[in-house]
Amino acid sequence: MNEDTNEANEAAVNDSRIPYVESPIIMATVRVITPFVFTFGLFIMFHGADSSGGGFQGGVIVGTVVLMLGIAFGIETTRDWVGPKLPVVFISIGVLAFLLTGVGSVILGGGFLEYSVYGIHHASKYGIEFVELAIGLVVSSIVTGLFFAIAAGMRNSGGETV
Amino acid sequence: MSAIEITLLVFVLSCALATALLRDVLGSIIAFSAYSLGIAIVWVFLRAPDVGLTEAAVGAGVMTVLFLLTIAKTVRPTDNQTLENIDFRALGVAVALVAVLSTTLFALPPVGAHDSAVATDNVTDYYLEESYKETEVKNAVTAVLAAYRGFDTLGEAVVVYSAGVGLLLVLHKEAFE
Repeated sequence: MNEDTNEANEAAVNDSRIPYVESPIIMATVRVITPFVFTFGLFIMFHGADSSGGGFQGGVIVGTVVLMLGIAFGIETTRDWVGPKLPVVFISIGVLAFLLTGVGSVILGGGFLEYSVYGIHHASKYGIEFVELAIGLVVSSIVTGLFFAIAAGMRNSGGETV
Repeated sequence: MSAIEITLLVFVLSCALATALLRDVLGSIIAFSAYSLGIAIVWVFLRAPDVGLTEAAVGAGVMTVLFLLTIAKTVRPTDNQTLENIDFRALGVAVALVAVLSTTLFALPPVGAHDSAVATDNVTDYYLEESYKETEVKNAVTAVLAAYRGFDTLGEAVVVYSAGVGLLLVLHKEAFE
């Protein structure tokens, strides 16, 4: 992975064709809209328990925040800021959190995902919201990772990758 | 069907045709994005806002961005032809497949029918009546996904995980080798 980042840095320095839009309109729009989109994504994730929405949809919306930052501030810059490992780490944390929530209730003597054995206030409501958050984490990290992985191909813009 | 629904269906179908037929890849992607947006609204008309939200976020949003990134690797066709040449044998196969699949349409109940299996099934009644008492969430879809069928959803999350990590590995390899 070290090789990867070095190469990415070199390419960022050498290649003048970095996909970076120096448009004040895009920059200003992204600056203003990003917090709202992020909040909306979290809202969809949390609110999925009581109205339409859920972890998957909210996760995609949160993932688009990173996409917007990438388009406004340069994909390479955002990619270096996020780092190559972070999306994979987040994906794994999301799946593990879901898995442990499910298996944990079995260990405590209940069924799979039987939230009530955790003994917290409104266990199943908050349990479901926690699981939705875990799904959202998986989905948003995959969207981000795919975005950077596909954009990385643009550096060899001749189109011919060997 | 109301006029607005017919307009929507015509819009969706023409966008789908434009996606397949346009020779310019950028135009094709924009048509595909419009198609996704149309389908998202169709889902809302079919009373499935969850699916509509997914279609709008994934189909019209993220997929368009990923496609736009991908076409940076393609070249614009040099000739002035606007539409793709149609391969009539492939068209024949596609039309035959659609015709065979369409035969199942007559077995479906009308949209919103009172006597459809979905509306009269005991399982549906159980979920609608008991899900709030048992899981304390008002959205029955979420209750089914995260409580009653939690094991299925875990399987889905693991499938997304495997597909995502596998793709990231392959794409990183291609990007850096």
